[in-house]
Amino acid sequence: MNKMTQRIAIGLALLFGANTAMAECGSIQIADMNWPTASLMAEVDRFILEQGYGCEVEVVAGSTVPTFTSMNEKGKPDLAPEQWTNSVGAPLKKAMAEGRLFALNTAPITGLGEGWWIPPATAKKHPELKTVQDVLKRPDLFPYAEDKSKGAFVTCPAGWGCQLVNANLFRAFEMEKKGWVLVDPGSAAGLDGSMTKAVERGENWFGYYWSPTTLLAKHGMVGLDFGVPFVGRKAWDECIALSEQECADPQQSAWTESEVFTVASADFTKRAGDDGVDYIKARVYPADVMNSMLVYMADNQAEPADAAMEFLRAHGDVWKSWVSAGVAAKITNAIN
Amino acid sequence: MDFLTEFPEMERQNLRDLKQGIDAGFRGFSREYGELLENFFEPLLWFLVWLQKLLIAAPWPLIILIICALAWFGSRSVKIVTGCALSFLVIGYFGMWEDTMSTLAIISVATIVCIATGIPLGILMARSNRAQALITPALDVMQTIPAFVYLIPVVMLLGIGKVPGLIAVCIYAIPPIVRLTNLGIRLVDKDALEAADAFGANYRQKLFGVQIPLALPNIFAGVNQTIMMALSMVVIASMIGVAGLGLPVLRSISNQYLALGLMNGLAIVALAIIFDRVSQKYGDRLQKHRKGIHHD
Repeated sequence: MNKMTQRIAIGLALLFGANTAMAECGSIQIADMNWPTASLMAEVDRFILEQGYGCEVEVVAGSTVPTFTSMNEKGKPDLAPEQWTNSVGAPLKKAMAEGRLFALNTAPITGLGEGWWIPPATAKKHPELKTVQDVLKRPDLFPYAEDKSKGAFVTCPAGWGCQLVNANLFRAFEMEKKGWVLVDPGSAAGLDGSMTKAVERGENWFGYYWSPTTLLAKHGMVGLDFGVPFVGRKAWDECIALSEQECADPQQSAWTESEVFTVASADFTKRAGDDGVDYIKARVYPADVMNSMLVYMADNQAEPADAAMEFLRAHGDVWKSWVSAGVAAKITNAIN
Repeated sequence: MDFLTEFPEMERQNLRDLKQGIDAGFRGFSREYGELLENFFEPLLWFLVWLQKLLIAAPWPLIILIICALAWFGSRSVKIVTGCALSFLVIGYFGMWEDTMSTLAIISVATIVCIATGIPLGILMARSNRAQALITPALDVMQTIPAFVYLIPVVMLLGIGKVPGLIAVCIYAIPPIVRLTNLGIRLVDKDALEAADAFGANYRQKLFGVQIPLALPNIFAGVNQTIMMALSMVVIASMIGVAGLGLPVLRSISNQYLALGLMNGLAIVALAIIFDRVSQKYGDRLQKHRKGIHHD
């Protein structure tokens, strides 16, 4: 009987090659950022690494810059599932070159990024509004409360980097001449509120936002194609992303692609082994699935851990392609 | 035992339903009446926009002249008038003229709105103990509730911009004028009222001829406090898109622009000090006048 069990165990080990990882993996810290998608990803990673790869996982709270600083300096936490690189670009590049940090996945969520949006009702009522250029011809559809003859374009809250970009694009597209006003919502709450109010009321709204976010997912906001290509890294970094004084002649451009990585410490790549690293590399959330999860979290005010379970239960087709059949079986067992 | 150690709290599901119910109720209200409210405030918005445009478009020496004249009328003090002119010159020199004019416009309108609604409320409170018992807790809430709690519903109802900003400012700034009007009228000498009664004054004559004039110093202290509190809300109001000195302050907070924040912050302080000194001096002069009568 005893021999039998042993044989089965060895057989399983050979079959799935996971037992070796289990022995090595040890304890891993995953960074939970202070926004819903990152929390969800951290919890899903925790569950899959624990149940599928036998790691011992601790989730630590943080946010973009502090977490990155800690990873860069101390090598802890081991894994940041959703690291936005725009604010940590240079030091991250350096750490990657020195082999201390690894960008295991350079696009963990598809369809992600910043841009200009209109509500779905507006898009339906005016099917001709396909690109930013189309919208710019119709300031009359988006009247500014303080001057009804002008159209309102709601930009980024005061002080955000995207405010400079929007102001430069505002000039590049000659929006003032076309009858537009750049409206500063003052704060994230102001931006959210102005969009939500318009959508709830069935009014038209035109402004900046970024994806994946609960608000865009909940309202089903429609991202606009800019109708012009991205102007190029150099012209963007050295003009559009700078203040008005430093960018005399901004070019028309689409928003730059946002770079979001899953960043891991060298320690993680050793402990989680090739299997764990392969999982992180394969782990890509399609935009629509992530949006549906955001809506689920908002509607149910779900904790990230509960949302992770919901994701694993409802979207097997998605995550099963990230892992080997053996690991998938273990996880399926664990969630039932 | 569990009962003592674990607070018997509402069931999670029910609590969530309650919260969602309140949210849904408010959304329904906003959808139903938001448009109506917006139209109701339309004239106010129109006035605000007009005043701001006027202040920005008017030649700057004229504005400084008018402000100095007002300061002189209020304070009759050369020191204050000079300080006033100097601070506006410095503000303009450092490129904050337009933002300061925007702030001035919204603060002036907020003060007018607060006075126009606050003084009648204060009189009502002084007249009736029941009104006082009802209004006092409401004022307590308005003064202490964190601004963010009511900013969101205001934005949901009216969007972002001047009018919701003005409402947020007024919610915070109106309590002192109401309280001090009430207090001032209640503190009026019983003897003075008795004398008025003896002369056969009716209610209206007593109110406008005796109570309000004697309460004026207190009422003015209220106006002064209201202006101060309105100015302290400038930055908060900017968080829902009110143009003015608050926006650069917010920008400097998120970017750690020390100088930008300091300059705009000090411009707000300068406005506050001017308003404060002028209205205080004016209040003092009213009081001196009254004392004079007593001494005669």
